[in-house]
Amino acid sequence: MSSRGGKQKKGNVTSEQEEEEQPLQAVLVADSFNRRFFPISKDQPRALLPLGNVAMIDYTLEFLTSTGVQETFVFCCWMSNKIKDHLLKSKWCRPTSPNVVHIITSDLYRSLGDVLRDVDAKNLVRNDFILVYGDVVSNIDVSQALQEHRHRRKVDKNISVMTMVFKESSPGHKTRCEEDDVIVAMDSKSKRFSMVTDEFEIRHDLLDCHISICSPQVAELFTDNFDYQTRNDFVRGILVNEEILGNQIHLYVTQDGYGARVSNLQMYDSVSLDMVRRWVYPLTPEANFTDQQGQGCTHSRHNVYRGAEVSLGHGSQMEENVLIGRDTSIGANCHISNSVIGNNCTIGDNVVLDRAHMWNNVHVSSNVEIHQSVVCDGAVVKEAVRLNKQCVLAYNVVIGPNLSLPEGTVVSMHHPEEEEEDDDDEFLSDDQEVGHSKDKTRQKAFNPAEVGPEGKGYIWKASMNDTEDEELAQCLWGLVLNPDPESDSESEASEESQDRTFQLEVLGTLQRGLEENIVCDNLVLEINSLKYAYNITLKEVMQILTRVVLEYPFQQQGTQLTTLQYTGSLLPLLKTWSPVFKNYIKRAQDHLDCLSAVEELFLEQDTHQTAMVKVLMKMYQLEILEEEAILKWFSTGATNDKSRQLRKNQGVMRRMSLWRKESEEDESSEEGECGR
Amino acid sequence: MGSAIEAKTHKNMPGADKEADLTERIEAFLADLKRGGCGTGPIRGSGETARETTALLRKVTAQARWSSAGDLMEIIRKEGRRMTAAQPSETTVGNMVLRVLKIIREEYARSRGSSEETDQQESLHKLLTSGGLSEENFRQHFVHLKANVIEAINELLTELEGTTDNIAMQALEHIHSNEVIMTVGRSRTVEAFLKDAARKRKFHVIVAECAPFCQGHEMATNLSKASIETTVIADAAIFAVMSRVNKVIIGTQTVLANGGLRAVNGTHTVALAARHHSTPLIVCAPMFKLSPQFPNEEDTFHKFVSPHEVLPFTEGEILSKVNVHCPVFDYVPPELITLFISNIGGNAPSYIYRLMSELYHPEDHDL
Repeated sequence: MSSRGGKQKKGNVTSEQEEEEQPLQAVLVADSFNRRFFPISKDQPRALLPLGNVAMIDYTLEFLTSTGVQETFVFCCWMSNKIKDHLLKSKWCRPTSPNVVHIITSDLYRSLGDVLRDVDAKNLVRNDFILVYGDVVSNIDVSQALQEHRHRRKVDKNISVMTMVFKESSPGHKTRCEEDDVIVAMDSKSKRFSMVTDEFEIRHDLLDCHISICSPQVAELFTDNFDYQTRNDFVRGILVNEEILGNQIHLYVTQDGYGARVSNLQMYDSVSLDMVRRWVYPLTPEANFTDQQGQGCTHSRHNVYRGAEVSLGHGSQMEENVLIGRDTSIGANCHISNSVIGNNCTIGDNVVLDRAHMWNNVHVSSNVEIHQSVVCDGAVVKEAVRLNKQCVLAYNVVIGPNLSLPEGTVVSMHHPEEEEEDDDDEFLSDDQEVGHSKDKTRQKAFNPAEVGPEGKGYIWKASMNDTEDEELAQCLWGLVLNPDPESDSESEASEESQDRTFQLEVLGTLQRGLEENIVCDNLVLEINSLKYAYNITLKEVMQILTRVVLEYPFQQQGTQLTTLQYTGSLLPLLKTWSPVFKNYIKRAQDHLDCLSAVEELFLEQDTHQTAMVKVLMKMYQLEILEEEAILKWFSTGATNDKSRQLRKNQGVMRRMSLWRKESEEDESSEEGECGR
Repeated sequence: MGSAIEAKTHKNMPGADKEADLTERIEAFLADLKRGGCGTGPIRGSGETARETTALLRKVTAQARWSSAGDLMEIIRKEGRRMTAAQPSETTVGNMVLRVLKIIREEYARSRGSSEETDQQESLHKLLTSGGLSEENFRQHFVHLKANVIEAINELLTELEGTTDNIAMQALEHIHSNEVIMTVGRSRTVEAFLKDAARKRKFHVIVAECAPFCQGHEMATNLSKASIETTVIADAAIFAVMSRVNKVIIGTQTVLANGGLRAVNGTHTVALAARHHSTPLIVCAPMFKLSPQFPNEEDTFHKFVSPHEVLPFTEGEILSKVNVHCPVFDYVPPELITLFISNIGGNAPSYIYRLMSELYHPEDHDL
């Protein structure tokens, strides 16, 4: 048999005989643990949604089987009965299947973490295993990654716990899920996922395939850390504790093959189109890899696939990338492009379909236009309906006639309010739930303005109490994305607050120094230790110091000081602390930085701008600042209108030249510079 | 089911295990065929596929339950249909099924006592009067039929083993000293053919790289290892270089019933350029590549693989704006071909129909 043969060959290469004797195992999580596909996934679990007329879980299983997996554990929770029925009927559960599929169901799984903890509790895996979701479509040959993983584990005794498979694809690729946008830092030599190493690359051109090769320890680690919910939690946890626990995560980056997870409808659209465009070869529609009777179809030019018994009316065109399931009939003068149409559909005359995804038993009347939308099983679209982009018609909805649905409309037979009501029993068995919802549907009337005079269904509004992923406003298509990722703002915020506390500390130090008459050298020592405690650069220390000193009078006597009072109290302070300044301001650049800090402060306190000259003069006299630096700053530093205004301020100019004359040093040349 | 390893250890046990093992083997072979060829052509050569198919069919003959030739043919046909459906572009599989069916017919006829000579001879009279032995006639039971069929299949296997050598042996008749030979892509048969000629003669080989898979590179490496003077050219340079070429020698994936070829992409270009310069085009094709398929069966004729090689997936945004196709095969019409060299000698394209009727029984053409 193929997989066995393949594996044995590999075994000879790596000479890992004792490992090879155990079959390769996989854990397939047939639940997404979120509600991104609601209301569609209310009636059908996500893993069973058809992609190119084949359930998504079949792609995942075929991927696993072709990599040589011999034992797969399928974990289901939401609507587990349906998944079980599907699998029992499929070729995976035939006795000849090279991949033995075990189905494990429980209503208690709420996250990936729960599943893996159960894997550990039941002691299912004995060796390295592949972890995938039930909605991953891939043809990547992971045997290479597996080999690398095993090699690493052999070399450094179980340090590496996980190898994640990434595919190269540049940003902006349509199959890159925007929510999944990852920036990966890795050690360039060992391909280690890393926080800090000597030599590392940062990559933004990787697509997370959501395929991971895990060591058995992964399950144990999930058990040990019961707060791990998702794989992200796990990765974060491992990286943070890398030095303590010594576990590492590695990457496998591939250029060949295809791998993507259908995590929202945007991805569904892309992956479906990629499949029709044969990126996932050999998992193409005409290959009929699920071995189901009557599923075969033919492939002809421009990627047009036709199932058995398809009829096409006169003048209808299937332009490109079209997949039509069996027993579907299409009327006259239709234009179909980039679409997938399921089995047993009927389509009327003069219909335009572009990027439409129609599942089974859909009825579309004449003169209908559908753009980039999903139409689920049993839906009926009546005459002259127009579905604009990103509409979703869930199961058994009726729309029309004569209606145009605005962009992004989701119509479902489930009333949106019932969502909250059966929040509690969402994890109960599905038949109960269906009975529930049917009762309710009958009670509420349909709104003809929303779904048309003969329509059936309710506009589905995303519930706002969605706690699973707050920052993604729950959106089927997954287009709404926070412009700036959370992590960025977080780190900035923390940095800012750090600066702030440092400033307060410096202020405290100076205050104490003044009160207790501490020698300036000791103040410098204290500030230096603060610098290390808060991990702040020398430049920042100096700027903050300048700021603290200049703000000191305000701090002590309130902000309602007149300019005269301000200078009066500040100048002696400057004199007292001049050694501190001198300690930090040494190089020419330091002078400029200090000046810019002074400028910044006086820009904020614009009522006291006139005091600036006095301050600068004092600092010059105390030899904190050099004249050259001041002049340089004066001539070049104007960066914006306000600062220019500050400099052009008559008073400033005059006083400047005044004190410069007082200083009696080579005026003439600098006057010229000043005037420029 | 018994796990894979178990099944292997019980291989020699009789009865149900045997049958389970057989179906498992067939399933594995089918799965292999479906996944076969991830773009760069089949992982195994078609010769290997042919041998594997024949070996599997021998196993079916030996292990399946059948009592008469008719039953056996029905079983083989059923499996054959599944095998050909698994990978329609891999015609060798279908060809081998037809060969085995033909063997069964012959062995049955021999057991019945009618001489093969009369059966083989075709005359206008015979064509008009009867269609040969019809299905009902295969119901008779013969004790030695099974052994005979297996023996004949073994002979077929031996023939398959020797095909490449047989073709290579003819190399010296076709390649002369100081000739410039052009070939395209990589063909195991052509490689063996050229290497054989290189033992005695010195000549120069120009290899068209055959983008996007660029198997030509591998071919050139292998040839130069055998110390043959080799040049790799881009596909665009084929016409420009053709004027210097004395002979074009290519391999093929399938020889079609009309004498045309289904060969790797770029072969048509080479054939047209050769015709323009009146350069002889020689095709090295073992007999098992001869298929009763005609080129008009368009649905299964082509094979499109992942466009990755043409425009990498990493390209990003551009991919959503363009359609990329990556076909694998070219059709080369028979009038562009000068000579076929098979394991049984050289033949003109116009003679293919005759070989076809010798190898396959006309009633089996569609399984």
